[in-house]
Amino acid sequence: MALPLRYSVGNLLARRTRTLLTLGVVAVVVLATTLLLSLVSSLRRTLVTTGGPSNLIVMRKGATNDGSSALPLEAYQALRFFEGVGKSPEGEPLVSPELVVQPFFVRRDGGRENVLVRGVEPAALAVHDSVKIVEGRMFEPSQGEVIVGTGVAGRYAGAAVGETLKFGRGTWKVVGRFKSGGDSFESEVWADVRELARDAKRPLPYSGFRVRAAPGTDLDAMIRRIDDEPRWAMEAQRETEYYAEQSKSADALYLIVIGLAVLSGIGAICGATNTLYASVQARTAEIGTLRALGFSRATILTAFLIESLLMAFAGFAVGGALAGILATGISRALGGVGFSAVTFTTNVIDLRVGASDLCWAAALSLVIGLIGGWFPALRAARLRPVEALRRA
Amino acid sequence: MIQLEDVSRVYRRGADEVRALDHVSLSIERGRFVALMGPSGSGKSTLLHLLAGLDRPTAGRVMVADRVLNEMSDDELASFRAQHVGFIFQFFNLIPVLSARENVELPLLLTKLSKTERRERASTALRVVGLAERAEHMPSEMSGGEQQRVAIARAIVSDPEIVVADEPTGDLDAKNAVEILALLRDLRREFGKTVVMVTHDSRGEQFVDEIHHLDKGLLDRTVPGGGAA
Amino acid sequence: MSWSAFLWRNLSRNKVRSLLTGGAIALAIALVCFLATMPDGMNRILEQVATNTRVVVHNEAGLVYPLPYAYMQKVRAMPGVVAVTSWTWFGGVFKEEDGISFPNFAVEPDAVGETWPDYGIPKDQLEEFKHRRDGAIVGGGTLKKYGWKVGDQVTLKGTVFPVDLTFKIVGTIPNERAPHFWFQREYLEQAVKAAGGTFDFLGTIWVRVDDPSRLDPLARQIDETFHNSDAQTSSENEKSYFKNFFGALEGLVFLIMLVTALVAVCIVFIAANTASMTVRERMREIAILKAMGFSRRSVFGMLVAEATLLATLAGAVGAFTSLGLTRLVRYASGSWNPTMGPLASFIVSNTILVEGLFLAFFIGMVSGIVPSYGAARRNVVQTLREVF
Repeated sequence: MALPLRYSVGNLLARRTRTLLTLGVVAVVVLATTLLLSLVSSLRRTLVTTGGPSNLIVMRKGATNDGSSALPLEAYQALRFFEGVGKSPEGEPLVSPELVVQPFFVRRDGGRENVLVRGVEPAALAVHDSVKIVEGRMFEPSQGEVIVGTGVAGRYAGAAVGETLKFGRGTWKVVGRFKSGGDSFESEVWADVRELARDAKRPLPYSGFRVRAAPGTDLDAMIRRIDDEPRWAMEAQRETEYYAEQSKSADALYLIVIGLAVLSGIGAICGATNTLYASVQARTAEIGTLRALGFSRATILTAFLIESLLMAFAGFAVGGALAGILATGISRALGGVGFSAVTFTTNVIDLRVGASDLCWAAALSLVIGLIGGWFPALRAARLRPVEALRRA
Repeated sequence: MIQLEDVSRVYRRGADEVRALDHVSLSIERGRFVALMGPSGSGKSTLLHLLAGLDRPTAGRVMVADRVLNEMSDDELASFRAQHVGFIFQFFNLIPVLSARENVELPLLLTKLSKTERRERASTALRVVGLAERAEHMPSEMSGGEQQRVAIARAIVSDPEIVVADEPTGDLDAKNAVEILALLRDLRREFGKTVVMVTHDSRGEQFVDEIHHLDKGLLDRTVPGGGAA
Repeated sequence: MSWSAFLWRNLSRNKVRSLLTGGAIALAIALVCFLATMPDGMNRILEQVATNTRVVVHNEAGLVYPLPYAYMQKVRAMPGVVAVTSWTWFGGVFKEEDGISFPNFAVEPDAVGETWPDYGIPKDQLEEFKHRRDGAIVGGGTLKKYGWKVGDQVTLKGTVFPVDLTFKIVGTIPNERAPHFWFQREYLEQAVKAAGGTFDFLGTIWVRVDDPSRLDPLARQIDETFHNSDAQTSSENEKSYFKNFFGALEGLVFLIMLVTALVAVCIVFIAANTASMTVRERMREIAILKAMGFSRRSVFGMLVAEATLLATLAGAVGAFTSLGLTRLVRYASGSWNPTMGPLASFIVSNTILVEGLFLAFFIGMVSGIVPSYGAARRNVVQTLREVF
């Protein structure tokens, strides 16, 4: 004979303050963990999805990122004729020479940040085919025009299409906005590489190159060939690998989030256990009566466990919903959360609570409910009917 | 010592009015052992609470030890009780985490006595009730009768003029009940205290000086008890 | 027996409950202290550098934009200037697999000692640095990381500059968290020229002034002087420079503060829950105490004191646990990190410990108030009526 669900629910409602407080604890733990989880996974998502599967990034040997690399014009010219380089429909080699600069930008709310400005040629759009212009158009070379990633558009002063951006030594007209599947390109501004080089007065014109390999090319062999090129100290890497390595900077943060989840989870368990123990104590007579009536130990155990799980679940529902609302709210209010990338520039993260984040939060709540409720439920189940009734 | 003049106590329970006490006048002389008896709902406990300063009447005047209680604030009443009244209840008298001696010391925390003085007084009180050797024991280690005796010790430790007992023998067996009643009578005899007891126990009639019978919030009759002799 | 003994006895009444509550609070305080290390670290760095008499001059467009070397002369001649050095990012790598694992700069050997007297570089090492073209001064942190010592030879491969340079370590900044690597600008200039290039620019200019009151006027003067030149400058004092640097971490810090606040709220819930349970179970006792003559205030005070005592004790345990926590994280994440810089060291200062303690105390007090107030106010007779 099982106890109806109404028994557990009814008991929770009867001691409203205690239930609410414990629910509150779980909700807050879920909220905090989910927010941080979503930050890390949003960050990861941004970094990990960046990069085309058949693209290579070529930098100077030893450079860890294309912001701190420099290669000469001759290297570009040689690379164009490398074996394995893909060709556009018009027959042009798909090699995008790029210059990475990190000027100051002013945020809409007044703060100052480094933003990655990438000097490119029209070939860039062909090589980085994840980048799609969604508003306006591509810039015309030598016209002082730029296009901005969608993360940039909302965050900095003068960055919307039609406005004028002020960075480097001049002013630039924003003629287009692009999206790139939520990756880190969306935190960049693209300009004409020659104009940018002039503006930044760089000794060497390029930071590095992005290469699209021809279909069917052995990428590893190509990478080796580029690395072994004797004239210029170049180093090639799969674009996807390059960005994946950058996401390692988020690993320390991940550790912290896990630590936080574990510790706060333990705290919540203590809270839940406390509440349930008190509940068991207060209902000793009731339990004795139930046992005397013939309900088994397992039934009592289950009923109390269900109470614990219900509280935890309700906490998860509240905490998760709040996290979703807060994340979107914060993201919107701050113009994205700025996370500083390895290139000393700002990655604009659109903070979003994803399904996987909620799954982890649900798992955490489940653990809290189970472990928190286990010992009190066990004690309730073990109460001997006669003792229980007598104590009352 | 204790005077109640035309005292009434009315409770509101939702829309209904409950007249726990209805225009009762009563007076108790100093140094008497008095019992308040009556069926359930007669108002005897209410009467006890009023003369002990635990509650205020809705009408009438309560005077105890030359003080008018119904005009006092809650804090003043608390202070009054601390100085003039000792309490004994039917059960749950003692704080379970404190030993017998510590329980008895409890009221003394409200006085300005030093730690050693408090200990001494408590030991004396325990000796009076005959539990000196159980001073360090916890309530859970004592029988019902012993617990009540500790309660009595606590009730007299600050030397109040009045001792108030609400069903002190209600939870005890015959032997213990009689012991407690005798002890209460001795408080009157040897220390001159005024003892007011609410009880169902007919055995009490032998020990008290007078009995006030109450019924439905009214004072029915007053008869002398066996102790008057 | 005394008030405090009574209090303590009440706490040990239900040991499991006190332990569970205390444990939860300790954990939460440990978390709060740990999370506070980052904003605290930032504040402390800002306070430390606030008293320094240094101005930083960089290109208005950004830190990566160069300034003409010619600016040095003009700045040197300005009033109140004690020392001036150029400071140019070389971006050399020691081990290619590690990438750029410590910041390395080309500086003016004659001026570094006076620009950063607070770094405490030994005078004889400075002299050697001035005289050896290929000399390098390396901070204690980097020395430790690679096991170098003064006298060793080190080669750095250029990433932004097309040259590799070999140095002899002649001195050190005696601070085991200092990651710096400084060498002579002329050495780099010679190497670049030999490779067929020119090197007539610098990254930033650091200026030391004689008096703090001169910091802002000098910054303004510098910016005005170069206002109409090709490369406009933006000068600021050291504190403002670091503040902007930390500005990049703003989003992260905001989230951390938010989470910390949430954890603190959690503590209140936990403590309040326990307090309310405790109070409810002790209704009868409270009624008896009040009957005995304990005033509402004293009953209230006792209950609040109990909650506060438990929370404070737990908070102390938690605060000290955070020390252990940070040690763990430091071990796992290493020291210098381009994105977090000195903040990656996660140091729990004494201030944080004390603040954690106060937080626990305060929360214990606050959480105990509502249930205790209700209990203290409750009509004695009503309780007696219900119970008896």
